[in-house]
Amino acid sequence: MKTGLTVSTVAHVALLGFGLVALSAPQALEVADVEAFPVDIVPIETITQIQQGERKAPVAERAAPTPTVRPEPVPMAKNVGDNDTDLKTAADAEASKREVQTAALPKPEPVPTPAKPAEVPVEKPKSDPTPVPATEVTPEPQPRQEVTPDPAPETAVSESPDAEAVKLPEQAPSPQSRPQPPQAQTAKAPQRRDAEKPAEQQAARPQNQERSFDADQIAALLNQEKTKGGGALRSTEQAALGGERTTTGQKLTQSEMDALRGQIQRCWNVPAGALEAENLKVSVQFKLDRSGALESSPEIVAGGNGGSVERAAAESARRAILQCAPYNLPGDKYEAWADVIVHFDPSDMF
Amino acid sequence: METLTLAAPGGELSLWALFWQAGWVVKLVMIGLLAASIWTWAIIIDKALAYARARRALDRFEETFWSGQSLEELYRTLADRKTSGMGAIFVSAMREWKKSFEKGARSPIQLQTRIDKAMDLALTREMEKLEGRLGFLASIGSSAPFIGLFGTVVGIMTSFQAIAGSKSTNLAVVAPGIAEALLATAMGLLAAIPAVIAYNKLSSDAAKLGNRMEGFADEFSAILSRQIDEKVLHKAA
Repeated sequence: MKTGLTVSTVAHVALLGFGLVALSAPQALEVADVEAFPVDIVPIETITQIQQGERKAPVAERAAPTPTVRPEPVPMAKNVGDNDTDLKTAADAEASKREVQTAALPKPEPVPTPAKPAEVPVEKPKSDPTPVPATEVTPEPQPRQEVTPDPAPETAVSESPDAEAVKLPEQAPSPQSRPQPPQAQTAKAPQRRDAEKPAEQQAARPQNQERSFDADQIAALLNQEKTKGGGALRSTEQAALGGERTTTGQKLTQSEMDALRGQIQRCWNVPAGALEAENLKVSVQFKLDRSGALESSPEIVAGGNGGSVERAAAESARRAILQCAPYNLPGDKYEAWADVIVHFDPSDMF
Repeated sequence: METLTLAAPGGELSLWALFWQAGWVVKLVMIGLLAASIWTWAIIIDKALAYARARRALDRFEETFWSGQSLEELYRTLADRKTSGMGAIFVSAMREWKKSFEKGARSPIQLQTRIDKAMDLALTREMEKLEGRLGFLASIGSSAPFIGLFGTVVGIMTSFQAIAGSKSTNLAVVAPGIAEALLATAMGLLAAIPAVIAYNKLSSDAAKLGNRMEGFADEFSAILSRQIDEKVLHKAA
């Protein structure tokens, strides 16, 4: 027994001693520094209310889009319109109310080129020598008229800008007022129907009646001459961080809308047992006063007609709105929720 | 904005530090387990040596016993020596035989019974000697893990109380306490595993040795009964 005990004790002491040396301290696990990062609670308003500006610009007190450079007026503008710059005309632009009169210039009839059979009837009227009664005759057009002796390729479309370029300086339309820097707006230039009347007059008198007179075709061509307005975004401010457009603060934010939705949903007894919930969509309009109470009885503006189930659904929506009033909504945005339309869609509930 | 910098507490994690940081209950458990381990290994070494010795002694005795030497002679050489194993059984049987014959036994059947009894006793004593302390191995093998676990549970309890006190759940705060608590379980297992293995091995060894001795006892009993019969016949003739 003695030997066993001695051997065992010695072995244990040796093992422990070895352990103390070899397993003294395990290698510290290398972990990257954990940085405590601050967390801010950001109200969603800061996201839903955006001032117009540049995405990548530094933050400034006032948001502004990239400063624009006002281009020099183009003397030889190709597009019809009354902007200083040559802008593409919008397809759906309306003709301006302002009337423009151009003076047709007396011109000796040039020899019509036989090589090119003019399909466009407007071509011919151009060579009309009869002078159009002019209201204002500018002195410049005359030399220009002499320079253009080749009327064949020239269309009425190309003529009118010329006439305009001459006349415009006095009436050069510019935005009535500079847009407010933080909320740069599209400066809509007034539009003007130009050269339409004279052209019409000319079209009405085709000289060569060789081809059949097609009024529709002429009208279609003349339509191309309609002046179109263009827009220009102007800003002289330093670009600052902002969104694509300014969203007003008068809108309810997402969280406020959710709050209203929640308040109504609490009282809404969804019509149960309806087979086709798709047809049970109801839109209810109601007005609220400043305290959030109902000002008028809710009106069903969409849905609710049809069978009894639909009517029941509409009534349930109306009841929900009546029951849950008054609503608790931000008072400073009263304009945003004074008049509310709520869409009730029970199909989401099933 | 409040920023928190969490510095890891530079806890020592060496074995000695782990032991030293532990609470007194855990320390006690660990010391107890260490002692148990030392004692377990002492027994294992001792038993292994003893069994080897016993096996050698049995071999040697069987050799001399079956060498054709007369029983009287063998008895005389072994009687005044401290014997163990088969030798002890042989001596006890021979002693009984001698006593009975010197006084002139009347009944051979009674003599046979007495000799058997004496051999049984000697065998039991020898087996006891062989199997002694194996029970300790068995109980260490089964209870050491639980003792270690107890130390761990107490250690972790203390550790969690400390966490609650420091109000930080950082792993660096939690880890050292749990590590030191787990050391107790590790020690328990360290003591238990060799104990269990050694117990199984040693008890089977002891059983083998016991079987051998029993076989010898039976054989010797048969030899003696033949001798008694011869003596009775001799007397009768």
